[in-house]
Parts: sequence; structure tokens; C-alpha cells
Amino acid sequence: MSVIIETKNLTKRYGQLTAVKDLTLQVEEGAIYGFVGPNGAGKTSTMRILTTLLTPTSGEAWIAGHSVAKEPRAVRRAIGYMPDFFGVYEDMKVWEYLDFFAACYDIPERERPALITDLLALVDLSHRHEDMVDSLSRGMKQRLCLARTLAHDPQILILDEPASGLDPRARIEIRELLVELSKLGKTIFFSSHILADVAEICTDIGIIEAGEMVTQGNIEEMQRLLIPHRTIFITLLGKLEETKDVLLNMENISEFEELPAENSRHRLRISLTGGDEAVSRLLSALVERGLPVVNFTEEERDLEEIFMRATKGIVS
Amino acid sequence: MSEATHAPRRTLAERLRSNPVTLKELRGRMRGARAFVVLTLYVVLISGFTSLLYLTYSTSTGLVASSSGSVIGKIIFGGVLGFQLFLVTFIAPSFTAGSISGERERQTFDLLRTTLLPARSVVMGKLGSALSYILLLLIAAVPLQSLAFLMGGVVIEEVALSLIMLLVTAITFSTAGVFFSSLTRRTLVASVLTYSFALVATIGLPLLALIFIPVLEMSFYDINSPVLEAILIYAGGFLVTTNPILTVIFTEIVLQEENTILFFDVNLSSSSGSIPLVSPWIVYVLFYVILTVVMLASSVRLVKKPEK
Repeated sequence: MSVIIETKNLTKRYGQLTAVKDLTLQVEEGAIYGFVGPNGAGKTSTMRILTTLLTPTSGEAWIAGHSVAKEPRAVRRAIGYMPDFFGVYEDMKVWEYLDFFAACYDIPERERPALITDLLALVDLSHRHEDMVDSLSRGMKQRLCLARTLAHDPQILILDEPASGLDPRARIEIRELLVELSKLGKTIFFSSHILADVAEICTDIGIIEAGEMVTQGNIEEMQRLLIPHRTIFITLLGKLEETKDVLLNMENISEFEELPAENSRHRLRISLTGGDEAVSRLLSALVERGLPVVNFTEEERDLEEIFMRATKGIVS
Repeated sequence: MSEATHAPRRTLAERLRSNPVTLKELRGRMRGARAFVVLTLYVVLISGFTSLLYLTYSTSTGLVASSSGSVIGKIIFGGVLGFQLFLVTFIAPSFTAGSISGERERQTFDLLRTTLLPARSVVMGKLGSALSYILLLLIAAVPLQSLAFLMGGVVIEEVALSLIMLLVTAITFSTAGVFFSSLTRRTLVASVLTYSFALVATIGLPLLALIFIPVLEMSFYDINSPVLEAILIYAGGFLVTTNPILTVIFTEIVLQEENTILFFDVNLSSSSGSIPLVSPWIVYVLFYVILTVVMLASSVRLVKKPEK
């Protein structure tokens, strides 16, 4: 996979305030990259630089191999940008809105009706073709904006907080759309402070805090790096003390704790280091000793934990 | 050879039609009743004004005799022209003062800037759509102006010059709106600046001319210098030509007295010599065209410029 978005020592200062500081990032083609950070971390400034709207104080950025500073037109051709606000013309019909932006991307007039039909079908707004934009719900407007970003079939979508302010259903719909677009071969670079959204769909993440990139990479690798231990929950019908003896004599078990019993069943939480082999060895040891295990579950390592471990709570 | 090389050259009208911003603005402007209500009100107002002129004149003279037909024709022509000049001076800027700042306020400006649409297309599209509507208003007044032809007293030069003056004024004052709109983030500030510009151009500078030229003439009365007198005439003339209504009046005076719409000589009182002058409308057109080009180029630069 080749790198499609790249920044090198990108810095943006507004007077005394440094919004983005020496930011270096790489996004591979086809990735869904979640750009995560608290409010005021520098996500929007970075995205505005990548979309040619803002001049960096120093550093460089490239989109699909084109310099953001030197080849803005080529960059604009390669990206579809959705800012963190709706940006819709209220006094237009839904099809007119898409027709206008398609024309702004030099799409010939004869090709536009079919394109608009396809785009509206993709974002599930075909039934609102003739409606005025201001009659759409918030979620529908967001989907319309997403359709707009696709008018010129860009390689990359840069989306600033695409699910912000949406109700749970609309958020899920947007998330599903992003996955669908990724399947169509688009690289998606989106910012969010809703970690559940990022965890659900991203292949890669970058965590930014106070303008600096704290950590970035493949989401699974990051989990391994930032949360080296794994947590296993087991439920037993009996033989608690025998089970504890087994655990005390095993490698890779860093600690274990007895949890309150439920329905006369004993429960243990075990912290374990190592890979899948270590988990497999633990399960085998319990079964070989004939211990009455009725449940063996690994706790999912969520993004919130990664985020909390990576960031310090600094806001620039 | 590239495709662009084979592409036929498009006329200005074709380029305006193919500009998505022009189409969007016109669609928005003509949607609903507002545009038609404005047009109707405009025609009613201008008709009322013309009727008032006719009635006032016919009442004061007692009857409209054939000998006075040419006079009333000229009055109606001048009245309608004055009304239209007022329209393009003070109403045209209102169509454009929110053109770019409105996009910023609606948060659609960034969307436009990330498309492939060049900044000049955004500026020309906004200007073109506003001018199209202004042109519609001007055309709507043509039947009233044509009343003057029925009565006589108006020559073809006056009609041609009035058309040129109206077009140049409409373009310049609309461009001023676009310029101030691209300069500021708020439509309110852009409107204040645009109307300040219109007031300075129509009232400020001529007022300056009316105040300072007599003062300067009196101050230098004893010097009796032909050079100074020539400078004062040129400076005063220039200040007068910054005002569309004064330009029309002085152009008419030159046409009546010197029988020309181009060049004429003025005798100096301080010497037996004379100095050459051009009809005020020429200076007006040149000055306003230059101003328009500067404001258009600045607007394009402001729209194109990424944020710092």
C-alpha cells in the first residue's frame, strides 16, 4: 500500500498560540484513518491545511503525491472535503445542490442527472430529490454533504467530525456509509472525538493532543503497544482454590482477582501478558486439570483506554 | 495536442451561462415571488415618478403644445435617467454587498474554495448574476423612456450616452459591493463600506469640488495665473465626473452649448488662451472602468488567498 496523505513537521501558529506543532503523519491508500483528539487539539487546523484552505506556518503536506502548497488544484481534484458544519445552501433543492457542486468540479452538464441519481441513492436520499435542502433533517443534511464530497469521485475523503451533533441512528448511518465508501476504494481521513465511532470502523488512528501527534498507526498494533496486558474473565462452578493454585504456578499471569460470586458461581479476573498463545495455554491448563470452567472471556481493549493512556489531557 | 487547444472560444455570455455560481444565484434570486414583487414595485415607482413629472410640467405650462413637446420629452427622459442612475448607484450595491461575506456567514465559502472553481469564476458569477437582475430592471424602464421619443427633444447621442453611463455605473457600484464583501467577513460591515463608497462617490467628492474650488479660486484670484486656472478647471472637472448625476448634467450642457460629445476648448479668464477639455462622460467612464478593474482584481485575489 502506498502513502496517500503525508505531512512532515507541519506547524501552524496563530500569534502566540501553536495549533499544530511539528505534525508528521502518514495515511496509506485505502485506510480509514481516525484522527482523534480533544477539542482544540489541532485536528481542524490540520484538515484545513490538507484541504488547501489554510497556509501552514512551516512544514509540508502532500495529498496523492501533490504538494498542498504548490499544487492546490491537483489536491482539490483528489479530495472531497466535509467541514465540521453543514455548509448547505438552504434555498436550493436537493438535486440543485448536488448539480451546483458537480458543475464546480467541471462535470459536464449531460452527465450530471445520472450522477445525482447515483449519489442520492448511495446516501439513501433518492426520495428527497425535489425537496428543498432546508426541509431535510440534520442527519439527512449531513448525508447530502457527504454525497457532495463524492461528486467528482475523489480518491480521498477528508471529513471533519462527520458524526458530530447527530442522533444515534444518524451516526450509525454515517458510519455505515463510511465503511461502504471504503469498500469502494476511497481513503477516508476523518476526525472525531467520539471514540466509539472511530473504534468501530477505523483501520488506523492518529491521536493528537495540544497540536502534537501523540501516537499513530494500525489500531491493533497500537492496542498491543499501549495496553500490553490482556484481561481474562473466567466463571467456575467450583474448585476455586485449585484454580488459584494453577494460576499461581503459571507464567504470563501478572495478577488475578476474585470477583463477587454470581448465582453461586465463582468469578476471577486475570491479567495476562503475551499473545494468543498465552491465552490458549491458560485455557488448556484449566481444562487439563478438570476445573469446572463455564465461561472464559477476554475483555475487549477499547480505544478509550488507548486514548487515556496516550494523552495527558492537555488542551492548547 | 491538448483538448483545451481544440475547445472553441466561448463568448462572455456563454461563459456567464456556464458559470455555476451565476446559475445558482439567478435560480435563487428568481425563485418565489420576491424578484417579481421588486420588479413590479420598481415599475410602479418609476411610472408614478414619470407621471408626476408630466403632470407637474403640463400643469405649470397650462397645456402641452407642440412647441413644448420636445421640452417635456427631455424632462421625462432626464427624469427616468436620473431615477435609474439613483437605482444603480444605491440599489445595485445591495445586490452584491453580501455576495462573498454571505458565503462566509453561511459557512459555504470553504466548500466553494475546495472545488475546482477558480476564484475569478466565483467573483464573476456573483457580479454577473447581480448585473443580470439590474439589467432586467433597467430594461423594464425602457417603455417609459421611449415616451420621450414620442414627444421628441431627445437625440440619439443622448440615448447612447445614457446607456453607457447606466451600464458603467451599474458595473462599478456592483463591483464595489463584491469587493467590500470579499474584504470583510460580515455582510453588515460590507454593506456599510459599500454605501460609504457610494456616498463618497456621489456626494462626498462633488461636495468637495463645490466647496474647495470657489475657495481656491478666491485665494488665487489675484495671482491671475493661466496655469493655476487650468489646474483648477481640470481638478474641478475631475471631481465633478466622479458623480454619475453631475456627469450626466455637465455632459448634457456640453452637448447643448458646444454641440459635441467628445472634445471642446474652454477660454481662460486669466489670459486670452484656451485649454482643451473632454466631455465629462469620457473621464467618468475611464475613471470608473479603471476603478472596476482594480476592485475586480482585488476581489479575485482576496477570494483566492488561503487563510494565514
